[in-house]
Parts: sequence; structure tokens; C-alpha cells
Amino acid sequence: MTAIQIILFSGLLIISIYVYRRFRNSIADAIVIAIFILGGIIFVLFPELTTQVAHALGVGRGADLIFYLCILFFFFIILKLYARIRKIEQTITSIIRENSIASAKKMKEDSTNQ
Amino acid sequence: MRNRDIYIIIPVFNERRTIRTVIESLLPFEYEIVLVDDCSTDGTTDYVKDLPIFYLRHEVNLGQGAAIQTGISFALLQNAEAFITFDGDGQHRATDIDNLVKPLLLNEADVTLGSRFLPSAFTNISFFKKGAIQIAKSINFLFTGQWLSDAHNGLRAFNRKAAGVLDLKENGMAHASEILFKIHEHKLKIKEVPVNILYTRYSKKKGQPVLSSVKIFFDILLNRIFD
Repeated sequence: MTAIQIILFSGLLIISIYVYRRFRNSIADAIVIAIFILGGIIFVLFPELTTQVAHALGVGRGADLIFYLCILFFFFIILKLYARIRKIEQTITSIIRENSIASAKKMKEDSTNQ
Repeated sequence: MRNRDIYIIIPVFNERRTIRTVIESLLPFEYEIVLVDDCSTDGTTDYVKDLPIFYLRHEVNLGQGAAIQTGISFALLQNAEAFITFDGDGQHRATDIDNLVKPLLLNEADVTLGSRFLPSAFTNISFFKKGAIQIAKSINFLFTGQWLSDAHNGLRAFNRKAAGVLDLKENGMAHASEILFKIHEHKLKIKEVPVNILYTRYSKKKGQPVLSSVKIFFDILLNRIFD
């Protein structure tokens, strides 16, 4: 086993423990994540496999294939996060708006009443 | 329509230097004034607390679009008949409001937009800002199919129908374009009215730098994808 394999392997191990502790309750999540981690372990142990897959898809090297897929994946994640941030923003806005309308006051009348 | 049914919505963020003068210029007309304080940190409240106005405050700074929508939502609840958006930095003039409201009364329009570039309007706009507005006009035309003589002018009037369907989602500066999209979407009748805008050194400093129009453009683009 080479040094990089040890690093990647321990990384995968830590991630899987972390994920296991957090998402124990959803079976669908657990299956998807298990597939990813297993895939990761297999490709770390047998890196030549990625090259074979890459060749099958018309890409020269396995590392390149993973690089391209990562770009797609992260772009998707950014869009998802952006949509979620906007949703949260709208929720916050409507709470603050309702609050400010509920506590609206007529300045002068208030001061004469007090 | 009585002037008491006309609600002037003034969104402010740290405008203590001008806000009192702006409100005092509006008071003689006896409009209802709704000041929406978008979480100012300069003590704007202290400068207006003895004036007969409605005061609303956001607990978090949300942006001008959000403040305008808060004012409109509030005025709708107060049974306002006309809704005016008015800037707090002193660039708009109270005497223009009457001209903006007139077409609403005559049922000629649901929305009136103040324009700096119609004949008889006066403005001392800078050359670069004028160029940026030309670009903004073209973008608005692309998205809404409406060729207007001005873009992103903060002085506008809505009737109840228009105010009710507005529902601005753009908290930041892209709300100006969003208003045009909503007009287009709900097929509201619009009319442009010449208004006089005076840029002071102060309002220029507070206003939008020309470059921020690029940011607004991306806001519009992204948000049209997601909403």
C-alpha cells in the first residue's frame, strides 16, 4: 500500500464514521452513502479500475474522469445551496416584515399619548 | 381620493442627514408617510421621532427592496388608495407626487413611473450614470418587452391593484427590475411621468455606483432561474 492510499483510506474511514453517527435514521441515505464509500474504497485499492472506466467513457486517465465528474457534482451542489439560501432569506424576510408591521407606530401620536 | 389615502413609502438606511428635511418637505401635503427603517445604525429614529409619521423598523438589515415591500404591505393593511415609493436621500421632490397620482385617479394607469428623461423633466445626472441607465433600459426591454424612457428611478406610484400583486422577492437593488417584471406579468397599465431629480453630492455618495448594475444584472439572472 502506498502513502496516498493510506491517506485516502483513513479519510474515507473518518467520513463514514461521521456520516454513520449523524444519519443513522434514514435507510435511503445510508444506502446511497454506503455505495459511495464502498466505491471509494474499491477505487483507492485498485486505482487501475478508474482508468478502465475512463477509457470506456472516452477519457484518457481515471484521475481526469474523476476531476470532470467532481466539477459537475460541485456545480450541482452550489446551485442547490444557492436555492436553499434564497429560501432561508425569504423566510427571514417575511418574519422580520411581519414583526415590523406588528410593531409599527405612529410617531407623534405615540409621544402625545405617553 | 383624499391626500390621507396616499401613502408615501420611504425606505431608509442610515439617512439621518437628510431624512428630516425630506419628511418636512412632504408634511404640508398631508399625505400619510411610512418610514421603513432598514435597521439603521446612525440613530435615524432620533431625528424623526417628533414627526407625525408611521415608523417601521426591520430588526435586521435586509435591503431596499425588502424595505419597500414592508412599507407596501403595511399601507395595504391601512387601506391606502395610492402607494408612492420615495427616496430618503433628498433627490426626489414632493411636488412631483401629485402628477404621479393623477393618472391613477383618472384610471389611465395602475402604475406610474417617474422619468428623468421625458421632455420637461429636469435632472443633473452624470454622463456615466446616464450610460449605465441606457444599458439598464436595454436589459429591462429584453426581459419585459417594455421600452421605457428611464430605468431604476425610485419615484413611482401604484394603485391598490398594483400594490396588491407586487409581492417583491428581491431584497436588494434588483427590485427595480423586479417591479417591471411584475408589471409585465400581471399586465398592469403603466404611464411614465416626468419628474425632477436633483443629485446632490450626498445622494451621489449614498446612491448606487455605476458598477453595481453588473451585480444587479446577475441577481436578476440567477433569480429568474430559481423562482
